Amino acid sequence: MERRSFIKTALSAAGAAALGSTGLNAATTRQPVDNRKISEVAFPEKRPMITYSDRPPLLESTRDVFAYPITPNDQFFVRWHMPDIPTRIDPETYTIHINGLVEKELHITLDQLKNDFEQVEVTAVLQCGGNSRSAFQPVAGGIQWGNGAMGCAKWKGVRLSDLLDKAGLKKEAAWIGFNGQDNAAYYKTPNFVRELHLDELDDHVIVAYEMNGEDLPYLNGYPIRLVIPGYYSDSWVKMLSNITVTDKYKSLFFMDVAYRVPDNECECETPEKRAKKTKPITKMNVKSVIGYPTQDSIVTHNSHLVVRGVAFDSGQGIREVLISLDEGKTWDQAILDDGSAGRYAFRTFRYSFKPTKYGKMKIMSKAINKLGEEQPFAKDIQWNHGGYKYNGIDEVMVEVV
Amino acid sequence: MKITNRIKKLLLAAAVIAVPLSAKVNEDVAVPYVAFPIKMGKGFDVVQAQCLTCHSFGYMINQGPQSRTFWKEKVEKMIVHFKADMITEKDAEIITDYFFEQYGNGKLK
Ligand code: HEC
Repeated sequence: MERRSFIKTALSAAGAAALGSTGLNAATTRQPVDNRKISEVAFPEKRPMITYSDRPPLLESTRDVFAYPITPNDQFFVRWHMPDIPTRIDPETYTIHINGLVEKELHITLDQLKNDFEQVEVTAVLQCGGNSRSAFQPVAGGIQWGNGAMGCAKWKGVRLSDLLDKAGLKKEAAWIGFNGQDNAAYYKTPNFVRELHLDELDDHVIVAYEMNGEDLPYLNGYPIRLVIPGYYSDSWVKMLSNITVTDKYKSLFFMDVAYRVPDNECECETPEKRAKKTKPITKMNVKSVIGYPTQDSIVTHNSHLVVRGVAFDSGQGIREVLISLDEGKTWDQAILDDGSAGRYAFRTFRYSFKPTKYGKMKIMSKAINKLGEEQPFAKDIQWNHGGYKYNGIDEVMVEVV
Repeated sequence: MKITNRIKKLLLAAAVIAVPLSAKVNEDVAVPYVAFPIKMGKGFDVVQAQCLTCHSFGYMINQGPQSRTFWKEKVEKMIVHFKADMITEKDAEIITDYFFEQYGNGKLK
């Protein structure tokens, strides 16, 4: 069939761009698209990944990386908004500017950042608010990510509060705007500037220059990015160059229109009746993803199978991860790691058993956090137009032979 | 849905350039061009002229086959929110038709 073969070529040639759901109308959420092909093309410092676009670069990690507590830099997902990213950065002269309502404007070089301030580290999950968006029906606007628009890394840098203290906030100071070096291709297009209220910033927010012991990869925001543990990544500004303190919130497209969910109890709406009031996505909800086995793998009958995966939330901490082998009728506890990577990190889990039945077998994982919040079944997650915050119980289908 | 459209691949740009990993310091980082398969059809010349300034083709078709309204609203979003004010009403119409014909789901709404 011509169409089928087109889709196949498209996948192998370019990654996932052309694959989408066809016009299913039933508005039930399902499992995100899994097992997309990786591209043949590798981006700088990355292995070949699932590739949605080259301009701006959009790369997704494959499921197998979620069998491990740390996501390797060369497999870490990439999401830029603007296509015009500086291709040459001189670490000798790169400077972050802190200005606006401060006592003293600061211009801090990388060298000063690394030497003049207390150095801190935090292991934290970075997840796009639209991760797993392909689960939503009808199709929600935005990149149709599978589960791989997330990763966990050990970030090193300087507390944002230390920088702001050094600059000295004036008393009217209320909002902080963050701007990176990426630019729109057309001068009238709004840039990707983020604003956070001072109340949202705590000592865990850092200005990071290192990821897993190395310089930040170029595509993950070299040389400096903001790290906001527990929050979705929309405000983790990359190639951070400007921190501006203001008293008033500036109206910005990427703040007012993008990355928002309905401001109601279920954070849900329907395509016909969109919510009038919206709110920013901010904190991450509880989620788990199975890293091994991956979708459609073959496992051996009666062998010793160890299911592995990761769980996280906004920093409340994971209480337990449960595994089901019978469509969610019964659940059994997985073993969690010791949690020493901290409350913002991936908490890994493992679950051993022997598959005793031949044929297809579904493995499901569900995380519950310390507040007792747990992942719902995919089908019970209600729609929002941006396809944000999907956190359905994860599923992997394998074949026992 | 019509699936017999002639399908062609168009190379948007030259072949991939290999990049040294330590490119940050002294050399330009080269982000490769990826050749996304593009379906040829009426109006593609306008799409090429108006829709590829700010992002690649892959970025636009990632959401899969969609209704005519969907495509119409996307084009409007580009003009209203992202200030693609060089797109005339007539071009917007041609572009909407192109996407609906090539990447449509057959539904008007
Ligand atoms: C002036 C720049 C500009 C032009 C010209 C432009 N776009 Fe966009 N487009 C954007 C920006 C900015 C985004 C969103 C980027 C982001 O959210 O990261 C976007 C995103 C998209 C998306 C993804 C879905 C979404 O809603 O974000 C689609 C589809 C799209 N554009 C289609 C088009 C089409 C069709 C045209 C030609 C009519 C076009 N674009 C022309 C700037 C532009």
